[in-house]
Amino acid sequence: MVNYGGDEVSALVVDMGSSSVRAGYAGDDTPKAIVSSYYGYRPTAGDSDVQMGDTAGESNPEAPKPRSDAKLYLGQHGPSIWRAGMEIGHPFRDGLMSDFNPIPALISHALVDSANRERMAEIMFEEFQVPAFYIANTGVLNAFAAGKGSALVVDVGHSMASITPVVDGFVLRKGLVYSALPKLVHAHAKHILANPTPVRRGIELYPHQLIATKISRGLLVSLRYTRIGSPEPRIAGGHGMKTAEVDEWIQSVASVLDQGWNEQAAASRPPRQYEFPTGYNMYFGAERFQVGEQFFHHSPQLVAQNPNLPKNIPALLSESLRACDPDLRQVLMGNVVLTGGGSLFAGFADRLETELSRNIPHVKIHAPGNPMERRYGGWLGGSILASLGTFHQLWISREEWQEYGKAIVGQRCK
Amino acid sequence: MALSASDIRSALSLPQSTPAPAHHRKTHPSTTKKPDGISRELYSLIGPSAPSLAAHLAKPRLRQKPNLGGGGTVKWEHRPFGNSARSDTLQLFHWVKLSDPIGDYPFAKYNVQPQSYTYSQDEYSRLLEDSEWTKEETDYLFSIVQEYDLRWYVIHDRYNFPDGPIRAIEDLKDRYYSVCRKLIRNRPCAGDESSRSQLLNSYQFDKEREKMRKNYVASLEDRTPEEIAEEEALFVELKRLEQNERKFRKERDDLLRTLLGADSGLPDIVVEEDGPAALSIEGIRKKKKGGPDFDLPPTPSNIIQLGPPVSKRPPPPKSAVYDAQHCIVRVDPPAGSSNTTKVTHVPAHLRSFKLPVPKATIAPKVAQALAELGITYSRLVMPTRDNCSQLESLLDATTALIETKKIVDRVEQDIRVLKARLGIRESESADRDPKESTPMDVDESKQDRDGEGEGRAQSVIRGRKQLCRSISVSSIDTSASLPTRTGTKRQKRG
Repeated sequence: MVNYGGDEVSALVVDMGSSSVRAGYAGDDTPKAIVSSYYGYRPTAGDSDVQMGDTAGESNPEAPKPRSDAKLYLGQHGPSIWRAGMEIGHPFRDGLMSDFNPIPALISHALVDSANRERMAEIMFEEFQVPAFYIANTGVLNAFAAGKGSALVVDVGHSMASITPVVDGFVLRKGLVYSALPKLVHAHAKHILANPTPVRRGIELYPHQLIATKISRGLLVSLRYTRIGSPEPRIAGGHGMKTAEVDEWIQSVASVLDQGWNEQAAASRPPRQYEFPTGYNMYFGAERFQVGEQFFHHSPQLVAQNPNLPKNIPALLSESLRACDPDLRQVLMGNVVLTGGGSLFAGFADRLETELSRNIPHVKIHAPGNPMERRYGGWLGGSILASLGTFHQLWISREEWQEYGKAIVGQRCK
Repeated sequence: MALSASDIRSALSLPQSTPAPAHHRKTHPSTTKKPDGISRELYSLIGPSAPSLAAHLAKPRLRQKPNLGGGGTVKWEHRPFGNSARSDTLQLFHWVKLSDPIGDYPFAKYNVQPQSYTYSQDEYSRLLEDSEWTKEETDYLFSIVQEYDLRWYVIHDRYNFPDGPIRAIEDLKDRYYSVCRKLIRNRPCAGDESSRSQLLNSYQFDKEREKMRKNYVASLEDRTPEEIAEEEALFVELKRLEQNERKFRKERDDLLRTLLGADSGLPDIVVEEDGPAALSIEGIRKKKKGGPDFDLPPTPSNIIQLGPPVSKRPPPPKSAVYDAQHCIVRVDPPAGSSNTTKVTHVPAHLRSFKLPVPKATIAPKVAQALAELGITYSRLVMPTRDNCSQLESLLDATTALIETKKIVDRVEQDIRVLKARLGIRESESADRDPKESTPMDVDESKQDRDGEGEGRAQSVIRGRKQLCRSISVSSIDTSASLPTRTGTKRQKRG
């Protein structure tokens, strides 16, 4: 046991992302539960008090019972099932576990500011009565998942791209940079799909749930489909059903060229077919490469149009490196860890390598080939950390929480 | 095999001649002896006669399972444990073997705190006053250093003293280490002076040097691709120059050896290709030995520094006496060579290793000549100094003998050739008459056409004459070319 330093205390590891919450026991290699971070709710006029529902209760939402109060739809089948009048919300909030004793919880969090972390600790100790608690940075955990103590973690998530320099398991806060780049890519993809082009008209992005019948007649033929439910589901916080459709399209069709934008190269790649829920069927050629280009290069006119455009990956990288010590830069560039579900974008790792090696001589990118490891790297690192014997002295115990209060969070979780 | 009559009878289904009980009595013991792993039917067919076959047919036994952990099941227990590395009484649960003793948490020993220095107000005011640092900021620095276990990059990242100036990582390190040094120097030390200076050395920090180094590192990163390419080209050029330098040195040594012969003192060993690293080390060693030597023109390379010749340094008299006492003979370093390179160095050796050897070109001849005299020179039974010198003189004499023999042979050959040429001259003068009457040939051909029978006999005679003439011509040719050829040979030998 001591040989590999592991000592499992069945700690609970929760990794919260903007698209999904991952939870499981420390020592496992994959999370036990992957739950959508979105939740559905039906607003009611009077009562805004929200009843927490657990996953088990919501696992059969196929026949939603009529409810008088506002009802949360959580979990795997919560927000992804269409219900009349349901809105989709997105809090950072967990209502999944009720009995934590005697399970300590490790929460992985991208947030650095202490107020949020203290609030999280408060929720865990006061509401869920956990015996011990620790909060770790996602970037650090990603580095641990890659087996590195010092690394430059390039994390491309669902809505945020971040670059975190990690040294000896500590985040260098001055070098930590964020941008909402994936959102921009998403918006770009949506723009491409929704706007008509010379060869096709704009595509209607209705989810499967809204399509009652459809007759697909092959490519570019006028479609016939009927929708159920007259009003479009309202979209809260910029997320909704259309988002899922665009995401689906990005995941299956969109790609990025590995050697930089080049019209000929894009045209020479084979086009890829995609059928939308409406039955609209289309081959996507060069368009699908334009989408990924947003990660690495912004066209000058786009920059001119919106001044506060999220920074692209090379800009983020150089900004992060500039904030680091010159001695560290070489070390960090030799340990680039690519992680996050967004980095599974086709061709992303190759392109990143090309971009980096263009400017920096010795670059080594660690990008796990296993998609599970890439998507749940933060959780995996937490699982590794919380199962280490030497880690157990770092927990904030309930006793300490009661003695020192909120200050202990900042002191312990450096 | 005991094949009884009854067996044969039963096999051939003949009526039993003997009573049945006898048969029973016979088969009964065989069935009891049936080995394991073979069916009863098969055994009754092959009988006890094929034990080897039965052994083969025995039930295959699986490899024995490894017996891990002294038998029986291991009981595990979900046991609460405390951690002595913690200041509180947090109880966590883990699974341990029931047999494991309840002791201290095994991972608690990894909680190692680095040694840290603290100072009192008095010490601060006496020793540690600094115009750039306030006491509060120094306190803060020491607390944060302690908190982050001397991880300077992290310390610099988190360093945030309110209303303090922006500090570079070198400033922080410099302040911390200088305070530590002062404290070590002015406190009574438990150990002796050497351990204190060792401790001081471990807290050494040169701020200016670190800053300069960091600037260099930063400037390395700011290079454009063109500059990097240029740098690489320059590096390749440097390598090439170094190689040229080595080649030049080798050629110069060769030239010296050719010009001065044995006097040059350069050994006949081919100079091995030294790596640049070896050369530079050598250069450093030579630099330590002394200034440059003026006997030889200095080489353009700064790597090759010519040290003073060792031979010019007379051996100390004490050592001479000592040598004589202990029969130590020092080999004079090659005279005239002031170039103390690795190849010219003569290490201590066994005398028998340096036995004189005839030149490779004439070695077989020497061996042959000595064999004729009944001497084997390749092995000295007792290679004393006298014997060695005698062997050397013997070899020298033999070599001289062989050289002389060669010259004699050559002279004899020349004489023979010249004699032959003389003979040809004489024969030529005899042939001169028919040679001059070449038009006769035409006449003869005419005669050929005239008379066939007689012409044949004549043609035979004429053929002989022509043959003879052709020989003489060829001999003249060779005699003309021969002296020149021997001449070239001589040149080569000389």
